[in-house]
Amino acid sequence: MVDMEGLAETTVRYVMKLGASACDVLAADSKFTSAEIEKGSMKQSSQIRDPGVGIRAFKNGCSGFSFCTGHDRKVIHKIAELAVSQARAGTPDPDFKGLPEKMKPAKVVGLFERRIPELEADDVVEMAISLSDYAGDDKRITSVNAGVTIGEGTSALANSNGFVSSQRMTSFELSAEAVAREGSEMFSGVDAGASRKLSTEMIERAGTNARDHAIMGLKGTKLETGDYPVVMDPLAVAFVFGMAIGGGVNAESVQRKRSYLTGQLGKKIGSEKLTVYDDPTIDWATGSYSFDGEGVRASKKTIIGRGRLETYLYDSLAAGKDSRPSTGNASRGGSIWSFRRIPSISPSNLVVRRGDSSMDEMISETRHGVYLRLTYDYPNLATGEFSGLMMESFKIERGELGPSVRQATMGVHLVDMFSRVDMVGNKVRDVFGVRTPALRISRARIGGSS
Amino acid sequence: MEDLAELAIGHALKLGAEFADLRIESTTGTNILIMDGKTRTLNSELEAGCGIRAFVGGTWGFVATSVLTKASLRSAAASAVKMAKAARAKAKIQFEIESAKAVITTEEYKCKEKPADVTTEEKLSFALGLDGSARSFDSRIGSTNARYDDLEAERVIANSFGTMVRTKERWVLAACSAWSRSEGVTQRGHASEGSVGGYELMRTSGALDLGKEAAAQALRLLDSKPAPAGKFTCILDNKMTGMLAHEAFGHACEADAIIAGASVLEGKIGKKVASEGISLVDDPTIKDTFGFFSIDWEGVKARKHVLVDHGILVGLMHNIESSSRLGQKPNGSARSQGFNSPPIIRMSNTYISAGDCKKDELFDGLRRGLLIQGSQYGYVEPAKGQFMFKCDEAYEIKNGEVGQRYRDASLSGVILEVLNNVERIEDDFVLGDPGYCGKGGQSARTTDGGPHIRVADMVVGGLT
Repeated sequence: MVDMEGLAETTVRYVMKLGASACDVLAADSKFTSAEIEKGSMKQSSQIRDPGVGIRAFKNGCSGFSFCTGHDRKVIHKIAELAVSQARAGTPDPDFKGLPEKMKPAKVVGLFERRIPELEADDVVEMAISLSDYAGDDKRITSVNAGVTIGEGTSALANSNGFVSSQRMTSFELSAEAVAREGSEMFSGVDAGASRKLSTEMIERAGTNARDHAIMGLKGTKLETGDYPVVMDPLAVAFVFGMAIGGGVNAESVQRKRSYLTGQLGKKIGSEKLTVYDDPTIDWATGSYSFDGEGVRASKKTIIGRGRLETYLYDSLAAGKDSRPSTGNASRGGSIWSFRRIPSISPSNLVVRRGDSSMDEMISETRHGVYLRLTYDYPNLATGEFSGLMMESFKIERGELGPSVRQATMGVHLVDMFSRVDMVGNKVRDVFGVRTPALRISRARIGGSS
Repeated sequence: MEDLAELAIGHALKLGAEFADLRIESTTGTNILIMDGKTRTLNSELEAGCGIRAFVGGTWGFVATSVLTKASLRSAAASAVKMAKAARAKAKIQFEIESAKAVITTEEYKCKEKPADVTTEEKLSFALGLDGSARSFDSRIGSTNARYDDLEAERVIANSFGTMVRTKERWVLAACSAWSRSEGVTQRGHASEGSVGGYELMRTSGALDLGKEAAAQALRLLDSKPAPAGKFTCILDNKMTGMLAHEAFGHACEADAIIAGASVLEGKIGKKVASEGISLVDDPTIKDTFGFFSIDWEGVKARKHVLVDHGILVGLMHNIESSSRLGQKPNGSARSQGFNSPPIIRMSNTYISAGDCKKDELFDGLRRGLLIQGSQYGYVEPAKGQFMFKCDEAYEIKNGEVGQRYRDASLSGVILEVLNNVERIEDDFVLGDPGYCGKGGQSARTTDGGPHIRVADMVVGGLT
């Protein structure tokens, strides 16, 4: 068993001996076990063990980053030399004010679930079959494709300011696609879930959601181009807001004036009903940690408070440039940290505060509109404009959910989208790294095919 | 590596695998990112490991390890068989892998100047030059990025048919982004160049001019308006035709989507799926492209795949599993991102073949439409039959004349309709930008292309 903290600490000393002015080292070891279902039948079971080391060395403010697979000391020394030589080769950066000082990590309950490392491949296979059974439980479902992955990992981080600590993390992720057919009609429903702990409820919910939406979508319709109110499912909110807010408040993008939120700090950018946090301390959420990818203690921040932009998100480099502390948002990858990932600014868990409307109320109070369940489109972060395909959406007619809308697009400026939030759901779910309720946007431009 | 490969495959067979294969890979690479004239990141990687698959009665076990010793590979092989059996116990569908002729060869992709022989300082100077050329292009360029990536990989692919392939590959990629600002408006331009091969590509004008190209696009977009929403006849440029070939149709032609019961093209082989003039091809054998390979990641010789021939769906892209299950020959379409990912069916260089129409004819009689240029990204859900892609620039077409510039138009369509709506195909074929395609959590280098085409009834997403 490798002493990960010891490995990270001794590597820091080696890198400093090579002439770096500062450095940090992430020593990691992770294991992922997964099971995949294809057309309702078990197809593949996999196990990936991924040990490695990532080294970031600084010289004159310039960083060099190298990583290697495995924990072989000779190879680690080789990448240390590469990182230092790269740091020397780069251009000096006077904006770099140093890595974070040594600080005590936050106490976060729910990063590591003991049961996950005890599971065998057969257990993961059973979970995938259960997911598939829920998704396929209707005669109109002709195919289910699904997967379950469990992960466990240890990440030890040390830096040249004396910080050294490690955190053990687990993950449980799943996704399901159910394909429904009736006559000549075909439609698919998808759903996903992620947590740091096992959840049979998540399996049932993802499976039944995928199934129900595949069936709901069989009956299709078209829309005329025009302005409509849009009820956004948590899946759609998570995908759009994850990039729109998570990317828009990236302090480095703001400093370089590449974000539509540049110059908006303290200003109103959304409705009174919209409050958004970044919170790495949520129990069992996949973006939680006790310290960030540079060793900064995890803490909750309000990004948008009742529609007002309250903070940008910082790592140490961007913080140094603005002469302020880091917000602890240096990311090393997904739910299980990766030694391959150079620290970069990212939200931890983005949280949209719940409101008081039920989904039924949101639908029934929408006379003529659209329920958007899923889009995979990204906004233009420079302009703040969003236009994309409503991959899965349904018509709302006289306050009732109608047939699925085929081949329609949605366009809206992000600040208009935030400002037009007029109903906020009272139930949240965790998806795509975001904890969010459903939201209603009073108006967006829909490009229809009718 | 070959000895280790034989040992691991033999061990998997001994433990009950009906078929087994593996990829042992050793990779080095460099990534440089320049932001606003300064080095933002200078990265290098050293990766090595093995991914082994065992097949038992219709299910696979896959195990990856980064420890390349006899004991570790034996253990990985045993785990792969165990996992395949665990999956097999619960599988409803059974099938066999058809035996195929072994491929035994050693190959090295053409490369004049190995990236590893070029100093970091020179690569850095190249990237700084790109960034500088974008920044100095115009005073309205406020921010810039330049990126340089290279990779050198040595890969051994072996399987229980006796295949033993050693491939040495190298590729390089450069990209530049520029942000222009004027009167409170910010716009972004982007350009990239890449290919399998060596550093010599970075000395060509195509690579050296990327900064200027990105800056010019960012400036053009300053006077653009948000795109209108609605249904339009669109003229797609070479890059967007490539995106259409890839997203709107290519993914649906991957045989794993058909087997999964998640493609609207199921049962359509031999049927008309496009206008008569449309031929759609995926061809990994085109040299000096980003999507090139000669032997796929299952050790199968790559070949050109004609997917749609004059409007008729004639073929799919296969790996050894899909070809076994659908009674076809494997055609070399399996790829994996690295040793720690199992091979899956992927596109390579995907394009629509040239037609015989001239540029003027493309615009003739078009009273109201859009000219769509440059591709940002796209995606598809083959089971829903819908796709979407986003362009860099769009222009209004009024009575055959090009007018107002628009930005960020997203185009969507229906897989089974879009190629039937192609009205005219120009004779100006270009294989377009290099890029990466994502599928199943894996990334693959690809290129798309084609001629300008005119397509009726495309739904455009916009803000007005």
